[in-house]
Amino acid sequence: MFNNLKLSLFLAYKSITKGNKGTLFLTIFILSLIFINLVFIGSIFLGLTETINNQVINTLYGNVVIEPKKDEKYISDVSSIKQKIRNIPGVTGISAQYIIGAAFSYKDKSGAWSVRSINPDDEITVTTTHNFMIEGEYLSNLDTDEIIIGKEIAGGYGGDMEHLSLGGLKTGETIDVLFNNGVKRSYRVKGIFDVKFIQSNLNAFISQQEMESVIGMENSASQILIKTEDRGNEEKYIKQFLDIGIKEKINPWPVYSGIVKNIISSFDMIAMLISGIGLFVASVTIFIVVYMNTISKRRQIGILRAVGIEESVIINSYILQALFIVICGTGIGLLILLTVIKPFFVANPIEFPVGFVSLMILPEKVSINIISLLAVALMAGFIPSWMAVRETIIEAIWGD
Amino acid sequence: MIELDRIEDTANLLEVRDLSRFYTMGEVTVSALKNISFDIKQSEQAEFVAVMGKSGSGKSTLLHLLGLLDSPTSGQINSKGVNLLDLSESQKARFRLERFGYVFQEYALLPELTALENVYLPAMALGKKKEEYIKAAKEVLEQVGLGKRLYHRPREMSGGEQQRVAIARALINKPNILFADEPTANLDSTSSKQILELFQRLNREIGLTILMVTHEPDDKKYVSRVIWLKDGELAEQGM
Ligand SMILES: Nc1ncnc2c1ncn2[C@@H]1O[C@H](COP(=O)(O)OP(=O)(O)OP(=O)(O)O)[C@@H](O)[C@H]1O
Ligand SMILES: [Mg+2]
Repeated sequence: MFNNLKLSLFLAYKSITKGNKGTLFLTIFILSLIFINLVFIGSIFLGLTETINNQVINTLYGNVVIEPKKDEKYISDVSSIKQKIRNIPGVTGISAQYIIGAAFSYKDKSGAWSVRSINPDDEITVTTTHNFMIEGEYLSNLDTDEIIIGKEIAGGYGGDMEHLSLGGLKTGETIDVLFNNGVKRSYRVKGIFDVKFIQSNLNAFISQQEMESVIGMENSASQILIKTEDRGNEEKYIKQFLDIGIKEKINPWPVYSGIVKNIISSFDMIAMLISGIGLFVASVTIFIVVYMNTISKRRQIGILRAVGIEESVIINSYILQALFIVICGTGIGLLILLTVIKPFFVANPIEFPVGFVSLMILPEKVSINIISLLAVALMAGFIPSWMAVRETIIEAIWGD
Repeated sequence: MIELDRIEDTANLLEVRDLSRFYTMGEVTVSALKNISFDIKQSEQAEFVAVMGKSGSGKSTLLHLLGLLDSPTSGQINSKGVNLLDLSESQKARFRLERFGYVFQEYALLPELTALENVYLPAMALGKKKEEYIKAAKEVLEQVGLGKRLYHRPREMSGGEQQRVAIARALINKPNILFADEPTANLDSTSSKQILELFQRLNREIGLTILMVTHEPDDKKYVSRVIWLKDGELAEQGM
């Protein structure tokens, strides 16, 4: 048994090291390309999903959202809720917001959007909008007659909803805002932002102080956004919030992804489909490459059998060769992915309508690909050599 | 194979009985061999047998069958009381490895191995120790006059040299019988002579039984017996 394995290894080793180097390198090269392609496509889709999720968290909702109790319009006693939550380990940001619908008008254009109010010092601990000002500046606490707006409201930046925008509003200009409660104010536009996410670019922000004067309330909020240091543990945080006695409705961010959630699940399905097809194509290609390679050794298989080498030794030596080729191919592919392609896309993410997308290479997905390809290698080494030992020795040596 | 040692003295090295091989190609049946019977004796003086006959007379077919590389349509082959055709494929492989040496017309070496590796492969497959099989391989290569070509790959050697490597490979496990199918057909007369003289020496000095297909009438001078085939039938035996 041990001697047979040694013999298989010897034959495989000689075949690899002393066989045609050109063919070997080409085969390994093709396999690494196939593998890169397979991982790349899956990773770009994962990256896309990741970007959308990050956008929802970073520009709209944070990780966890507290909403008013059922049948109430606002959360009351916001400061004490904030106080309690702040002490929970892992909470890195809290921002209370009022949200109210309003009609904007500028020159002959008008439209309806929602206005959120923020305490800028709090808001920057939760969202990243302040990093994406394309004109002017972000709000500050004392701004009462100023507003910042998303590019889809301002218009003039080629947004996807340009036709519904105010058609080219600029920083420093004044707009009239008629809130849903009937209060009407004029604001100077302090800045315009573009977070590369359409849903977020449809928002406008004024300061908390200003909003409280508009709606005549204090220490209340339409929602409280909470940012946590980790993602994926939202339920754990929610449980802690409930434990410290918060009676309001609490939801994790995915509840708010709405249409985005549909888009993401479509992406996931497309990604699965494409990865499945990719894996199939990769398997077939690898099979063919290894198969052709083995078939071309038919005569040698015949000679080995004529000498009296056992069939299992011969088959195992071809399986070993196929495994070697696939391991090298995926190894080199992985190396190129991790040292060249991934760093490149991290440094130069692709700009999609939903934001900048980079590759997301998940070890578990890559492992599945590697394992599948190794299984294919087993088959690709086994089947042709098994066929070659099934035919007669005479056919193997002299057949065509 | 315990049984085999017990009757070793009495039984023939090879007993061929009514051996036939038909090839069916669609409607047509070609009978390459018809009811061949003969013995190769185990005696003091080992036999050196030439198989001769016109092209297409069935010489290669016969050698393939005797070498267990192909199966007959009917008939029997016994060696020292063992019915070889009853063996399983893996037993046949073992038999080829341990007891038969086979030399093909076109060398049939493994291109990726050196002369030395080609030769020691069968010994390695028997599970011999590395020092042992390397030593044995060097010895047989020396014996066939290739002591200076140990590390050459087949494509770095002449046809005659390659054929001698193939012979060394066939000899390394000390077979009972050496089969050779026109071993000199692709060689010039000098190389051919070298090989035939080598066969004669092996036959006389170490008592190796040899069955060689040839179509050179001149080769008769090296052998002890000739088996003539005509249209797949045994035409004549003797000199
Ligand atoms: N695979 C095959 N299928 C059909 N017929 C075959 C096959 N192999 C051999 N034959 C036929 O069997 C007969 C004997 O062939 P064989 O190769 O044994 O002849 P040979 O005596 O060795 O000839 P040569 O001297 O030319 O090598 C020939 O008529 C040949 O056509
Ligand atoms: Mg022939």
